[in-house]
Amino acid sequence: MQALPSIAFGGFSGSAKDVTARQVGGRTILSVRSFPTGPTTSAQVVRRASLSKISKSFKLLTADQMQGWDRLAEHCSGASVFGQKAEISGLNLYIRLNVSRTMAGESILSDAPTSLVALPNVTYENIWVTPKTIVIKGIAHEAGYKMVVKMSAGQSAGVSSGWSKTVIITPGMEDDWGDADLSYLYFKTLGVKPAVGQKVFLEMYWLDPVSGFTGQTTKDARVCESEEDAAAEGYVKRNKITMADLKEESHVSECDVDFSTNSPVISFDAVCLGHSNVASSEAYLEDELPADCVGTSMALARGMGEGNACFAAQSYIIWLRNSSWDGSSITFAHRGGYYVKPTEVFGPGILY
Amino acid sequence: MFTSTGNNFGAGTIQFKDYQAENYVVLNAKFSYDPTNAAYQAADVLEIYVPDLSINRSAVAGVILTFQDRYVYSSYTWNNDGGTAIKSWIKDKNTICLEKFTNFDDKGEITIFIQALYAQKNQPGNPIKGTRTRINMTQETRYLYWSSETFCVIFEHWVFLHMQFSSCSYSYRSQPWEAQMGDFPTDVNADVPFLGGSNQYNPSVNGFSLAHVENGVFTCQERMSGFDSTGYDPFIFAFLVRDGE
Repeated sequence: MQALPSIAFGGFSGSAKDVTARQVGGRTILSVRSFPTGPTTSAQVVRRASLSKISKSFKLLTADQMQGWDRLAEHCSGASVFGQKAEISGLNLYIRLNVSRTMAGESILSDAPTSLVALPNVTYENIWVTPKTIVIKGIAHEAGYKMVVKMSAGQSAGVSSGWSKTVIITPGMEDDWGDADLSYLYFKTLGVKPAVGQKVFLEMYWLDPVSGFTGQTTKDARVCESEEDAAAEGYVKRNKITMADLKEESHVSECDVDFSTNSPVISFDAVCLGHSNVASSEAYLEDELPADCVGTSMALARGMGEGNACFAAQSYIIWLRNSSWDGSSITFAHRGGYYVKPTEVFGPGILY
Repeated sequence: MFTSTGNNFGAGTIQFKDYQAENYVVLNAKFSYDPTNAAYQAADVLEIYVPDLSINRSAVAGVILTFQDRYVYSSYTWNNDGGTAIKSWIKDKNTICLEKFTNFDDKGEITIFIQALYAQKNQPGNPIKGTRTRINMTQETRYLYWSSETFCVIFEHWVFLHMQFSSCSYSYRSQPWEAQMGDFPTDVNADVPFLGGSNQYNPSVNGFSLAHVENGVFTCQERMSGFDSTGYDPFIFAFLVRDGE
C-alpha cells in the first residue's frame, strides 16, 4: 500500500489488512473487506457466474458498441457521496444494466440504450408480514416494468438497520392486481418463515427489462405479527389459492385460482399434471375454502405436452369443496377435447 | 354492439357484440386474418383497438383460433380443419390483446372466435354464483346424443354455454344436424366453434367444426373427418351475449 501522511492529502490507493483504498472519479474511497455471514446460496452462485459472463462479454463488443456505452456512461452517475458525484465507466454501466436484464430473464444487451430511462419509485399502501403471509398491498401498477424485491431473514426486533442482509426474493415480478404476494418466494429463497416478533427488512425497486435501468430503492421493515393481530389491524386476505396454499401431494405444478373477481367467474391459471391414470388432477388445500366459493366451475384449457394433441383445447370441470372426511380440495377433471398431460387450465370459469 | 377502430395485424374492421358491466365484460366477435400480411408478421402480440370499454384491464381469458385444411381426393374431401384455445386479455380501455400463436400460419386464413368473459382480479368481493341449467336436446327422430355436461348458466344479458357431444346414429353421421335446445334462451344467435375429433394431418390439435345456435336451435352442417374418434370428445365452450333487451 502506498501510504500517505494524512487523508487530507487524498490520493490513497492499495490495500492494507482488511482496508482497501481506491481513487474513483477524483474521490478517495476506503472500504473494509466484508466477510460472508452465511453459506453461499445457489442463487448467489448463479448471480456470480452471470456477473462473470457479462464482464467477459464486454470484450467481445465492437469498438463502436464500446463507445456507445462510454457515451451513455457520461450521462449517468453513481450515488452521490459527500456532495461529490460518482462517475461510472462504460464497462460498469454495461455490467450494471445487463445484470438487471439477465436477472429479469432477458438476454445480454450489446448496444447501449439510446437514452436514459427514469423509473418511478415503488409506491404501496401497506406491507403485511405474518408467519404464513408476506404481502405488499396497494402497489401502484407500472405497466412494462418489473419489481425487484430483496428481503432479509427474520432479525431481532431491536435491529435498526438490516438491509445489508437482504437477498433477492424475486428478480422481477409484476404486481398481481396491486398485490405482491411474496410468501412462497420468501420461503423458497430463504428456507424459513419469519417468526412472530422477528423483524424483516425489505428493499424494492422497479426494473425496466428492456433497457436494464432500475429505479430508486425503497426501503422498509416490518415486525412479523400473528395472523390474528394482522386481521385486527385491517389485513384482509385476498381470496385466492396459490402454490403456497397447497399440500405437497397435489397434482398441479402451478396454481393461481383467484376468487376476487366480484363477477360470475373464478379466474384460473393452473398446470394440471394428472395422476394415477385418471384424467384429473387434485389440488389439496391447507385451509378451508370460504363457503361462498364452494361449488362447481367449468373452464377452458390447452395442452402443454409433447406429441399427439399437445396443443389440444379442452374443457375442464372443476369441483371446489370442503370435506370433513378428506379435507378441502380443488379437483380439475377433464371433459371436452383430447386429454393431454400436462395441461394449462386458464381463463374465467363460470361458477355454479 | 360496437366496431373496432383498428388493429395491428391487418384484420380489417371487427364487429363486436358486447355486454359491459362495471367490473367485467362479455365480448363476441368472429373475424379472420391473413398470416402472410406484413402487419401480422411484425406484431408480437395481436392488438385490436376499440372504443372505451367499461374496464381498463382484465385477467386472461380464452378465445378460439381455427383454420381450414382440406385434402381433395377424386370423389372425397378429407377435412382436417383444426383449432385450439389461445389467450386474450384487455390491456387498457381501448386495447384487446390476443396471444400470437403461429403454429398454423402456413394454413392460410386464420379465423378467431372471441366468445369470452373478461374479468378483473382483486375486486372487493367473491364470485357471484349462477345456476346450472341442463339443456334438453330434442329431435323428431333422435340421432344425436349428448354428455350430461351439456348445460348453460343463464344471466340477464349473456349466457355461458357448454355442450359435449357423445354420439350420433350411424346413418346420420354425414348429414346436416339440427336439434332443439330446450331451456336455452332463444335470443342467442352465434356461430360457435365445435372443437374435437382426431386431426390426422394436424395431430397437435383437435379438429374444428362449425356449429350455429339461433332461436334455441342447434345446427351443424358438416363435421371434420375425425369428428367422432374415441377420446377426442367434441365440445363447445362459449360466453354468448343475448340479443334481447
